[in-house]
Amino acid sequence: MNNAMNVLIVEDEILLAMDIEAIVEDSGHRVLAEAASLRDVKDLPDDLDPHLAFVDIHLANGSNGLDVSSMIQERWPNALVIFVTANVAKIPADFSGAHGVIAKPFSHAGITHALRYLADGVYDPPPSHPRPPSLISSPHLEQRWARAQ
Amino acid sequence: MKQSDDWHLTDALHYDQGRGDPFAAAVRATRMPMVITDPAKFDNPIVFCNEAFQQLTGYDREEIIGRNCRFLQGPDTDEASISRVRVAIQSGHDVEADLLNYRKDGSTFWNALYLSPVRDESGIIRFFFASQMDVSERVLSQQAITDKKVMVEREVDRRTADLRAALEAKTLLLHEVDHRVKNNLTMIGSLLRLQVRTIDDPDVAAKLDSMLERVDALAVVHRQLYQSSDLARFDLGTFVHNLAIDVVGASGRTDIHLHLDTRQLYVDAAHASALGLILNEILTNAIKHAFDNGKSGHLSVVVDDQSSMGIISICDDGPGMPSTKRTRSIGTSLITRLARQARAEATWRDNAPGTCVTITFPRSETET
Repeated sequence: MNNAMNVLIVEDEILLAMDIEAIVEDSGHRVLAEAASLRDVKDLPDDLDPHLAFVDIHLANGSNGLDVSSMIQERWPNALVIFVTANVAKIPADFSGAHGVIAKPFSHAGITHALRYLADGVYDPPPSHPRPPSLISSPHLEQRWARAQ
Repeated sequence: MKQSDDWHLTDALHYDQGRGDPFAAAVRATRMPMVITDPAKFDNPIVFCNEAFQQLTGYDREEIIGRNCRFLQGPDTDEASISRVRVAIQSGHDVEADLLNYRKDGSTFWNALYLSPVRDESGIIRFFFASQMDVSERVLSQQAITDKKVMVEREVDRRTADLRAALEAKTLLLHEVDHRVKNNLTMIGSLLRLQVRTIDDPDVAAKLDSMLERVDALAVVHRQLYQSSDLARFDLGTFVHNLAIDVVGASGRTDIHLHLDTRQLYVDAAHASALGLILNEILTNAIKHAFDNGKSGHLSVVVDDQSSMGIISICDDGPGMPSTKRTRSIGTSLITRLARQARAEATWRDNAPGTCVTITFPRSETET
C-alpha cells in the first residue's frame, strides 16, 4: 500500500486500543505508538511525526484528549487529530484544533472507511471519496484540504 | 379651639337654619365622614368635620377643629401614601389614597381618603374637601389574598425546584446508563474483532465476522439514538443511508455502485434495534452473495415515505441467491423473526437479474 499512514493511538481502554490497532494495520497502515495519558504522549520522541492520531477524550490519570490534541498539534503540526469518543458533547465548538471525531461505539466499517478517506486526503488532498458518515469533520479539516489544493 | 367663622354657612348653621341650605344639611347628616380644611390658615387646619367623621375617629369636634389631618396618622401609616397626599395638596390636585389611620383609642382602621381642592371664581383654592371611608375589611381581605398568594407562590417555587432537581438526577442517570451501554457495546465489538483475528478456519472467521457486523449495527443504532434529542422515535431512513455507505465503504469494493434514494423516515424507538438488524442482514447479504468473487454491480437503497406504512427496498443486480440457500441461512431466519417482532414484513422478489428485498413496517405515530 503506497499511501500507508503512520498512526498514533491515544486510548486508555486497552481492549479498544488493541482493536483500533488491528483495524489500522488491517487497513495497511502502521501504528507508531500507543499512549494512555497526556504523560505518555509527552514521553514520545520528537521524531515520531505521525500522519494521524486517534485520541480518546477520557484518558488515564485524569488527563483528557483536548490537552493531548493541543500537545500533538504543537509537537507534530502535520498530524491530523481525530477524537474517538463516547463524549461527543464534551468537544468544544473549535474542536481544540482537532480535525474530526468518530463517535463510540465505533464500528469496524466506520473506522476502516474513515481511514481510507483520511489517507486519501493525506496523500492526495482533497480526498476523492465523499466523507464517510462515521466521521464528523471539524472546520480545521476542511481548511487543511483547502490549503493543500 | 372654636369652630371657624369661615364655616358659618355650615357649622354655625343649625338644622333649623340649614333648611335654607340643603347642601350644608346634607354634608352634616350624611353617613360619609367628611372634613373641610382651610389652606389660607397656618398648617391647613380642619375647619369643619361632620358627625360621621367624629364617630369614625372617636374624637369630639373640639378635639378635631384646628388640627391638621395628619393627627390621624400613626407609626404604621405608609410614608409613601402620605407624601403622595402632601404633594397633591401642595400642587392643588385631587388625590385618592388608602391610609392606615388611628382612632382616639389607639385602634386602627383603613381610611379610603378622597381629597379635592375647592376653588373660588378667581381660581384660588379656598378649601380642601375630604371624604373618608372605613375600608378596613376590603384592605384586610386584600392583604389576606396577597399573603395567601405569596405563600402559594413560595410553595410552587419549592415544588418546581424539587421537580427540577429530580429531572436533573434522572437525566444524569440516563446519561450514565447511556455511557455504560456505549462503553460495553464498544468493548464487545473490540473483543469480537480481536478474536476473529486469531481464527484460521475461514468459515468460522466469516461467521464471527457476521456476528461482529450485527454488533456493529446495534452500536450504530444506539449511537444514533443517543445523539438524537428524540427518545421516542428513530430515523430509520437516515440509518439505512449511513449503514449502506459504511458497509459498502468498508468492504473496499469500489466496483459496487451504490444508489441511494433515501429520506428521513421515523419508526418507534422500541423497534429501532430489530429493524436496524434486519437492514444490516439484507445489506451485508447483498454484498457477500450478490457480488461475490469480485463481480461488479449495482446496489440500490430506496426509502419510500409516501404511504401509511414505511417501505425500504434494497435491490442488487447480482446472480441472486438460490431459495434453498436462503431458507437455511441464519440471516434469513433472523430477518423473518425480527420482522415479526417489529410488526414488519419482509418480501423477496426476483430483480432479473438480482434480488430485491422489501421491508414494510409501521411508521412512528409520534409527532414532534
